[in-house]
Amino acid sequence: MSTTRLPPHPAHVIDHEQTLTFSFAGERIQARAGDTIASALYAAGRRTFSRSFKYHRPRGLLCGAGQCPNCLMNVDGTPSVRACTEPVRQGMRVQPQNAWPSLRYDLLSIIDRFDWLLPIGFYYKTFIRPRFFWPLAEKFLRRAAGLGEINTQAKPKGGYDHEYRYTDITVVGGGPAGLTAAHEAANLGCQVTLIDDQPKLGGHLRFQTGTYDNIGEQSGLTGFALARSLRERVTSQPNIDVLSSATVFGGYEGGLLGVMQAKRLIHLRTQRVIIATGSHEYPAVFTNNDLPGVMLGSGVRRLLHLYGVQPGTRAVVVCHDDTGWTLADELLDSGIRVAAVVDSRYRLPDAPDSVEQLQRSGVEVLTSYAIQAARGTNHVEGALVVPLDAQRNPFPHASRFIPCDLICLSTDRTPTAALVAQSGGELVYDATLGQTLPQQLPPQVFCAGDVTGIHLLPATLVQGRLAGLRAAHSLRASETSASSHIQTLQHECEALEQEYRRHYEPYPQLGHAWTSKKQFVCVCEDITHKDLAQGVAEGFDEVETLKRYSTFSMGPCQGRMCATSSARICARYAGAELATRATTARPPVTPVPLGVLAGRKHQPEKHTPLHHRHIALGAEMMLLGSWKRPYAYTTPSEEHQAVRERVGIIDVSTLGKLEVKGKDAARLLDKVYTHTFSTLRVGRIRYGVMCDDSGIIIDDGTVSRLADDHFFLTTTTGNVEFVEQWLKWWMAGTDLCAHVTNMTGGLAAMNIAGPKARQVFSQLTDTDLSSEAFSYMACRRATVAGAPALLLRIGFVGETGWEIHVPAECGEQVWDAIMAAGAGFQIIPFGVGAQRILRLEKKHVIVGQDTDALSNPLEADMEWVVKFNKDDFIGKRGLQAIQERGPRHKLVGFALRDSGMAEGGQAVVVNGQPAGRVASAAFSPTAGKCVGLAWVPVEVASGTSPFQIRINGTDAQADVIDDAFYDPQGERLRS
Amino acid sequence: MSFLLACPNCGERSVYEFRSGGEFRQRPPASVSSHEWARYLYLRKNEAGETTEWWYHQLGCRSWFLAVRDTRTNLVKETYEHD
Ligand code: FES
Ligand SMILES: [Zn+2]
Repeated sequence: MSTTRLPPHPAHVIDHEQTLTFSFAGERIQARAGDTIASALYAAGRRTFSRSFKYHRPRGLLCGAGQCPNCLMNVDGTPSVRACTEPVRQGMRVQPQNAWPSLRYDLLSIIDRFDWLLPIGFYYKTFIRPRFFWPLAEKFLRRAAGLGEINTQAKPKGGYDHEYRYTDITVVGGGPAGLTAAHEAANLGCQVTLIDDQPKLGGHLRFQTGTYDNIGEQSGLTGFALARSLRERVTSQPNIDVLSSATVFGGYEGGLLGVMQAKRLIHLRTQRVIIATGSHEYPAVFTNNDLPGVMLGSGVRRLLHLYGVQPGTRAVVVCHDDTGWTLADELLDSGIRVAAVVDSRYRLPDAPDSVEQLQRSGVEVLTSYAIQAARGTNHVEGALVVPLDAQRNPFPHASRFIPCDLICLSTDRTPTAALVAQSGGELVYDATLGQTLPQQLPPQVFCAGDVTGIHLLPATLVQGRLAGLRAAHSLRASETSASSHIQTLQHECEALEQEYRRHYEPYPQLGHAWTSKKQFVCVCEDITHKDLAQGVAEGFDEVETLKRYSTFSMGPCQGRMCATSSARICARYAGAELATRATTARPPVTPVPLGVLAGRKHQPEKHTPLHHRHIALGAEMMLLGSWKRPYAYTTPSEEHQAVRERVGIIDVSTLGKLEVKGKDAARLLDKVYTHTFSTLRVGRIRYGVMCDDSGIIIDDGTVSRLADDHFFLTTTTGNVEFVEQWLKWWMAGTDLCAHVTNMTGGLAAMNIAGPKARQVFSQLTDTDLSSEAFSYMACRRATVAGAPALLLRIGFVGETGWEIHVPAECGEQVWDAIMAAGAGFQIIPFGVGAQRILRLEKKHVIVGQDTDALSNPLEADMEWVVKFNKDDFIGKRGLQAIQERGPRHKLVGFALRDSGMAEGGQAVVVNGQPAGRVASAAFSPTAGKCVGLAWVPVEVASGTSPFQIRINGTDAQADVIDDAFYDPQGERLRS
Repeated sequence: MSFLLACPNCGERSVYEFRSGGEFRQRPPASVSSHEWARYLYLRKNEAGETTEWWYHQLGCRSWFLAVRDTRTNLVKETYEHD
């Protein structure tokens, strides 16, 4: 089949002069610039666009607007792209999906004949017995089901991004209602964001070539000309932001809209939202209503008027209002034969001229008729139509066959109202219009246009103005002239709506349950009228349960094509008095690629003020939490040796640093630490552990008293944010008066340590560094290499040393000065690798590494930091309870008896049974063997029973070591 | 969750800027029974309705305040500094 293009027309969006080529299933297809994949394929004579989900039936173009599931294809490796909205790009590769070996001959279409295997709810019923059969069946089903295939080898393409926007009023939908609303609101000075999912504003007017009356000064314009005029008015208003080709996929609390524009996710905060999302047609239920060649009227119009593609050669138009008549006119104008117009109305209201005109053109006009079936094997070959009686019931024996290759359905439409429900409105069934319509809108939400159920342009335009005025007025109530204007429009609007309702006659529901022929309700999930009737008979007689049982409305179109029919069918068989309600439409309304939600791929990392020095020194960097730290500059063992024998320097800027200042600073610290700090003398440092109220360790660090009311705290790397919040939390609402300031980013810190540290460091400061003047656990302010510094004499690595805190901007200067002063002593920088060995040799615990969410200080070998004799502190009660019940296990130092290397996480084995775990371990050059920390049972901790560590399946003998492996008396530390 | 929360210092901001600190509870005096203490440690009301809870304005003024929020609708009735 090949289709000719229509001659150029001003409504067309394609460029007739410019051709593009792409490939479809390996074949070259010619397109015109502006074509979508679907319009180009259609023009090239393709009619089958996909195979259906369950039965693998051929499916053709249905909606042409990205609403239905029929044209999902793989485009350049991305599965399930909607071909009817995806523009053609030169050289793109398009593949059909869900068909094997090809769209034309899909072997799995055999399932269509064995549909008894897949009754409604089949996954609860079929293939369950015999049991052995299920694994086979499952394999087959998994292969046969599903949509598209993800190429797991493909590299993510990236390019995703997030954007945050704020606006006064958001108008969703760029059709006549939305355009009018945006214009009106912007006129009152509001910042308006207008979002439309099409590349060009104008909505359905873009593909209307008929003229409109009764629309004021614009009367007499054709649809597409009116679209242009409305569009130009809006784009010339500077306070309207237009987002085209963008979809609002969800409405969330706080006026947040999720908007997807290509690969961008826009978080749009809006004060008011005007929902002008319009409506969409969905197929009537009749036999073979899924056959390629059955198309929605709006889809036909799009092909005709946007892409200049002949949708068929001989058409039957099925309708229930005048839209079908104008469509017939337009088809005739485009040189397409119209075999018949099938109108379900009993009596036509007016416009007999057009009837006559059509008849003169050879169109058979059948009123009070409906469609019963489409005929054809792989494509429509004719329509079976049936007359209706006054009660809208068919006379089946009077049905007639009309040959045709195109069936246009202008039968049912439903508001695109998911956003209404998500924005807090209700959707209530309206019996006159046969649709679920927005009701009880919250004060910040407004609706206009087809979404209100009124498909009538004069009404739409008034509704749009009204919504725009109201939204703006609710934001800027000072504009008093607006309120009388609102009243006038309100009356005008109501009159038009009433008129519309009076003439409205929904298309009759004809499908029936006793046929073996397939009448599809849900084309996504291949669910028929019969399936739903049976589901109700099986007891799922409420629309939400029927949905879950049958899976209708759970396909790619998310119920756009089936929710209303299903609800009506459910009501019909459940005998409900049309208590029809729609199932809940949760976000996302349209499929959102995970990449869009994830956004740009980035991993933030923190650099210390000395970062560039490490890089210049060629350090091997590692990521610790979000910090980049040097692991080693040479090797950990070499660096270890240098610190033990000479002097080393390490960047410890990643330590959390807090200042606590105020008259109650000491009281606050007494409350949150297990230790006492009010007794700490100015100029002294004390180690502190923080617990939560159950006695679990949450942080540790040093506390230095700089003045009576001024303390300097260090916290575990990465935990400072938490500690800051923790301190503030325990202060909130109490009489404690203190300030907590996070200094982490503002200070560079380094630790110079080793037997020669004093000789090196004393070259850089006037401060007396002798042990008598500056003893272990003392702190002083000093000037170091010209920089103001805070010096803490502590020894995490077990050597004479100072922790030096200077303003971040002085970090490099001080580092360089130390390196220069140490050159004669062969100072070397050391990294985290060496530090781990050094601290393990001193049995120093790292909170968060050696402890976990169940560790308390009593069991972690820190009884000495818990001062039960002080007043209440956070964790006291919990720790008392732990003390009463006695320890269950303990953190101890251990050494392996023989050679071998343990590592964190390995099992501690007692009497052949796992009984604990290794927390940290390293090879100690000092001890000449592997040493570490491990959680062991109490009897092991007291040294009364031996234990092993399971290393790669074999148990290595280990001994508990009570004292530090290195300098157990701390003489070197204090010297 | 995308509701707006009014920080008593900074005004109305997106909830993304805040960290939730959970239900507001009074820490019992040390003298209560173990049973009471265990309730304090491990039990939460988890009300479907109005709840007073702690919030911390992490990406703002970095202070704690209380908010009365309906957990069913995420509507925040009031926010205030604890005193
Ligand atoms: S037709 Fe798409 S979910 Fe039912
Ligand atoms: Zn704040």
